[in-house]
Amino acid sequence: MEFIILVVTSFKTLLDPLVLTYVIAGFIIGTVFSAIPGLTATLALALLLPLTYSLDVTTALMACASIYMAGMCGGSITATTINIPGAPSSMMTALDGYPMQQQGKGALALGHAAIGSMVGGALGAMLLIGLAPFIAEASLLVQTTGKFSLLAFAVIVIVIAQRGKMIKAAMAACIGLMLATIGLDAMEPVTRFTFGFSDLTAGIDLMPVIIGTFAISEILIQVGAKKEARQTTEAMSKVKIRRRDFIPPLADIRKIGVVCYVKSSLIGYFVGTLPGAGGSMGSFLAYVETVRTSSNPDSYGKGNPKGIAASESANNAVCGGALVPMLTFGIPGDPITAIMLGVLVINGIQPGPQLMAGQADLIAPVLASLLFSAVILIPLTLFLLGPYFIKIVAIRKDVLYGSIALLAVVGSYVATYSTFQMMMALALGVLAYYMRKNDFPIITMLLGFILGPNLEEFLRRSLALSNGNPMTFFTSLDSLFFVVLTLVFVYFLAIKKPLKQPASKAQSSEEVI
Amino acid sequence: MLYFYKKIIFQFLIFIVSVGYLVTAINIGSPVLNGGLQPSFFPLIIGSLAVMFSGILLFKEWVLVKRRAADAGDESKPYAAPIIVCLIFIYIIAFSTIGYFIPSVLFVFSMMLMFSSKEKFVQKAIISIVIVALGHLIFELLFGVRLPTLRG
Repeated sequence: MEFIILVVTSFKTLLDPLVLTYVIAGFIIGTVFSAIPGLTATLALALLLPLTYSLDVTTALMACASIYMAGMCGGSITATTINIPGAPSSMMTALDGYPMQQQGKGALALGHAAIGSMVGGALGAMLLIGLAPFIAEASLLVQTTGKFSLLAFAVIVIVIAQRGKMIKAAMAACIGLMLATIGLDAMEPVTRFTFGFSDLTAGIDLMPVIIGTFAISEILIQVGAKKEARQTTEAMSKVKIRRRDFIPPLADIRKIGVVCYVKSSLIGYFVGTLPGAGGSMGSFLAYVETVRTSSNPDSYGKGNPKGIAASESANNAVCGGALVPMLTFGIPGDPITAIMLGVLVINGIQPGPQLMAGQADLIAPVLASLLFSAVILIPLTLFLLGPYFIKIVAIRKDVLYGSIALLAVVGSYVATYSTFQMMMALALGVLAYYMRKNDFPIITMLLGFILGPNLEEFLRRSLALSNGNPMTFFTSLDSLFFVVLTLVFVYFLAIKKPLKQPASKAQSSEEVI
Repeated sequence: MLYFYKKIIFQFLIFIVSVGYLVTAINIGSPVLNGGLQPSFFPLIIGSLAVMFSGILLFKEWVLVKRRAADAGDESKPYAAPIIVCLIFIYIIAFSTIGYFIPSVLFVFSMMLMFSSKEKFVQKAIISIVIVALGHLIFELLFGVRLPTLRG
């Protein structure tokens, strides 16, 4: 209850004009980036990461939260209007959104998407606010051996979540872990894998890893993309949307029903808590569940607003869910929460079980921003800027990528004012580019890099405490819990026959990520 | 044949790097000394796993690529990415020696050419200058970063 009161009082932080400007600007940037096919909210966040050096950490995290929420709903704009989801999380929205657009109800479809996003985002944020303190309290019970098993669980789950390319995901995680071991050893004064380069002694900074992985590799992917994918602007310029058509009639919302919104949001929230599952999985499962329980399943895929509501409620609820493991255990579940974790690390804040207990006043405004983005910014942005979004996202690609390239390369200079970090960002960008071209999921590489140091530290400490006896991971209760949980996930995600997602028309970049 | 090499080379490089990592990890020293774990312990585990996974991937890719060797490449501009890498590399060198403005204008201009048709050069040059000026404002005023100049 104390934490809920803290979140409520944190809303006053949003009254600060500077903070509010960053939150609103973050939301608009996130929406535009997620609406443009080929760009993602993750890229927006990676490009804005240097900003965290000049902002205070609370404002930076609040802006991150609004970008995150915007990233989940912005993809519905192009999913509905031109049948190309700007983000993979809006893939299911296109199934019913685009048929509505063809029936001349595109604006209405966007209105339904906004309401679904608003409800899902708000419920996800409220569940996070309500449950996170309890999970954080429980997380304090996890000791050294349990922490290692938990981190190993996160890495294994994110690898096995990449169905069909598990070995590539495992290799990508190994590459991340290998990169994390470069530099001075955390427990002994020994340098590793520096090959005589003094710049590598302190290890590889997180900033070039994020900018290289998400920004530079994206530029390299897009420049080689087929013309067809880069000429969506022409299709967009033909779409006309009027503001008054955005508001769905109350009868339509009643027809969709509270149950559909709430059930889809709950599915999205719980999917979000799993590392690697993400918005696309959440919206897919919610959509399938809505069709399964519908009395008229044949109407889906032909312009049923209930399909849009289910998909968008779920993918926005994922935001709240994905922040649970990040805030309580320091385990990011997707690229955006990984970058948010990076913001904490850059500011010298140690993520993990103690974060919620020790830094509650820092976390509360972030959750307030998440809720504010869902309830206020989603509908307001659509209503005020909706008719212009199509024009905004139809921006010239040469101008866009010219600007992104400049921001990315110079942005990597900000961390240490050294050209070595810029070269490192380029090298990691090239690595990520070839990994993506060869179908390696780079999110597992990033998580390997982020979780690597703690994974090693807790492994060595656990074995030191047990005099080198590896049975400690099975005899200590907290560790055993995560070992059993890992086995359960391996069974359900890797051994049991998985559900198949329909092929998306768009080959959005985040799918590869 | 070219397609075969193109598909296999990345897997092969990953395998070589993994083996190199493992060998370097072995050279760090003994993984366990006087009952305590040493700095080479974790890299040895990761290196072994990496060699195993990259070996499996190399074998799988070898078999797959041989089967579908007839498939064509999937890029419309196969040399565009290497050109961009060279552009960024040259830009980083110029950025640290000449400063922010001139290299940035040339860099943005050449990036714009890579993403569009080779026409309207004057318009693109003006847009490049505007982008770089805006970039300067963002970095110096918003991010609070002192960008390098010709005078250091």
